[in-house]
Amino acid sequence: MKLSKDGWGGLAVLAASLFLFALTLGLKDNPLVPIGPGFYPRIVLGLTALLAAMLVVSDLLKTRMPVPRARLAYGAVLLHFAVFGVYAVALPWLGFRIATFAYVAATNALLDVPRSARGWLRVGLLALGTALATYYVFEHYLLVLLPRGRWTGF
Amino acid sequence: MYELLGAGIANLMQVKYLLPLFLGTLAGVLGGALPGVTITMTIIVVLPFTFGLDPLQGLAAMTGVYVGGSAGGLVTATLLGLPGTPSAIATTFDGHPMAKKGEAGRALWLGIWASFFGGLLGGVFLIAATAPLAAFALRFGPWEFFALFILALSMVAGLAESSLLKGLVSGCLGLIVTILGTDPVMGQDRLTLGIGFIKGGIDFLPVLIGVFAFSQVMGEIERGGAARAADAAHAAGRLVVSQIKVIWEILSRPFQLLWFAFIGVVIGVLPAIGGSAASMMAYDQAKKISRRPQAFGSGVPEGIIASESSNNANVGGSLVTIMAFGIPGDAVTAVMLGALTIHGIQSGPLFISQNTQLAYGIFAAYLLAHPLMVLIMALGARWMLRIVTVPKAALFPVVLVLCTIGAFALNNTMSNVYVLLVFGVLGYLMVKFGFPLAPFILGVILGDQIEINLVRSLMTDSNLSLFVTRPISALLLGAALASIALSIWQHRRISRR
Repeated sequence: MKLSKDGWGGLAVLAASLFLFALTLGLKDNPLVPIGPGFYPRIVLGLTALLAAMLVVSDLLKTRMPVPRARLAYGAVLLHFAVFGVYAVALPWLGFRIATFAYVAATNALLDVPRSARGWLRVGLLALGTALATYYVFEHYLLVLLPRGRWTGF
Repeated sequence: MYELLGAGIANLMQVKYLLPLFLGTLAGVLGGALPGVTITMTIIVVLPFTFGLDPLQGLAAMTGVYVGGSAGGLVTATLLGLPGTPSAIATTFDGHPMAKKGEAGRALWLGIWASFFGGLLGGVFLIAATAPLAAFALRFGPWEFFALFILALSMVAGLAESSLLKGLVSGCLGLIVTILGTDPVMGQDRLTLGIGFIKGGIDFLPVLIGVFAFSQVMGEIERGGAARAADAAHAAGRLVVSQIKVIWEILSRPFQLLWFAFIGVVIGVLPAIGGSAASMMAYDQAKKISRRPQAFGSGVPEGIIASESSNNANVGGSLVTIMAFGIPGDAVTAVMLGALTIHGIQSGPLFISQNTQLAYGIFAAYLLAHPLMVLIMALGARWMLRIVTVPKAALFPVVLVLCTIGAFALNNTMSNVYVLLVFGVLGYLMVKFGFPLAPFILGVILGDQIEINLVRSLMTDSNLSLFVTRPISALLLGAALASIALSIWQHRRISRR
């Protein structure tokens, strides 16, 4: 018997909820209140584990029809998550303006690859415009402090 | 009530409130018109702009987005045959055929005025029903609140299209997010997993922004749809039309209009069903009560009126649920709930009595957003077709930068940006594995309250039978069970077919 996406999803949730359930067993009860901090998490995690197990079993019992698979660009998704991850890590080091400029330029260039000098100009203008406009609007008009770079002080 | 509403409207007429309301409505109309950019995405993008504003300015802007977004989808739905939002899908059935027949102006304005009248009827319900429902909810003890939240969660999980089990698992995953970090009753650390930013609990707004924004953006990227936007070159010609004629075409069907608005309001009050279901149900009703059902799909006005009046009335219903019970009916009201929290305002039954001015300000903003929406459409419908051709390659990075600002600015820490990323990945994976996002988000929002009310009720009286012997609690828990049973029956019926 093979698992489908439902089954694998259920299995992942089952594993995560059992792992967390095990951690709740180590939670110490508070002597001041009769219901400890682990009481409710155990109910939630137990219920989740039960439902996830039901999902796995129902997936195993299900008769499957072959489903045509669409060609999807998972590599691009991974790349864009990675670029955003680098942006999130770089923000406190480079500061909002530099990190945002680099992030918008990289993402725009990856989504619509520039094939001429005009294309690169578009990428540069969009990145510069986004970094400066958001910085100006949020810092000066809406008084929202944006991250300063530890390396750049900018 | 009328005095308070009058004062609310007079207050809102000040430039400092009217401007954010106008800009919010404009953003909503544009976001609604852009295929692939939902109202949720628009309101997430607008959220950080409201941080520096006073609560009423911020909520006026958000109400504007909600109203504008619910109507904006009809522009591309009628003129291009591309619904800008899911709630405009039913509008394409007759709106686009009518536009293709050379009546683009009539199709567009039928939709705009139907949204206007439907929205106003929803507003009447909003104003009339919120206070009595909130007063009723004041009778609730922890048993009733616990049962009410369980009902909301079970209804949302039961509505999952894929399967009830996945809906329930998704809701439980949302609840798990709330047990990480801190025990909300005693403030004791628990299940922090040794991760710094989990200590103290996880804010729901970065979670919500992460799951919705990333799942949508990455979904477009994986389909390769980000490079170029829709081609609007074939958009229909003249949009000028006799407004009186169009308005009469709608108002000459008063009972139908009322019925469609009623459907929208009822669907709006029920958590997480949303505008798309409201417009589809109203469209179906329009077809059933029509003398010429076979003509539907070829450009009949009733089809457009049904879809648009119900999806805008739906907004009024959704606002009732959040203002009277503190339960967000959908992702948009969930973000509004977050905006309230940011400004230190607690939503729920006490909201209207403790923040009367603000509550009536929201009613006023809701009412005023409708004429503003009509004005924006009148001035800019043609220009909007140009805006919807903005390449998503330019739009997506800007949207994600605004999401980052929104997460960071909640309490000026990078922790929320990391939460945004982590839940962005989780949201994308959930969508890929077919787990619905709505129950997850509701679980995240209600989790703490469910725990607090459960613990409070058990600490007051450890007798569990009180949950079923107190009449309102029993009724609500019964309704939760009935909703799950109904959902099982529906899924079985569909799979048998």
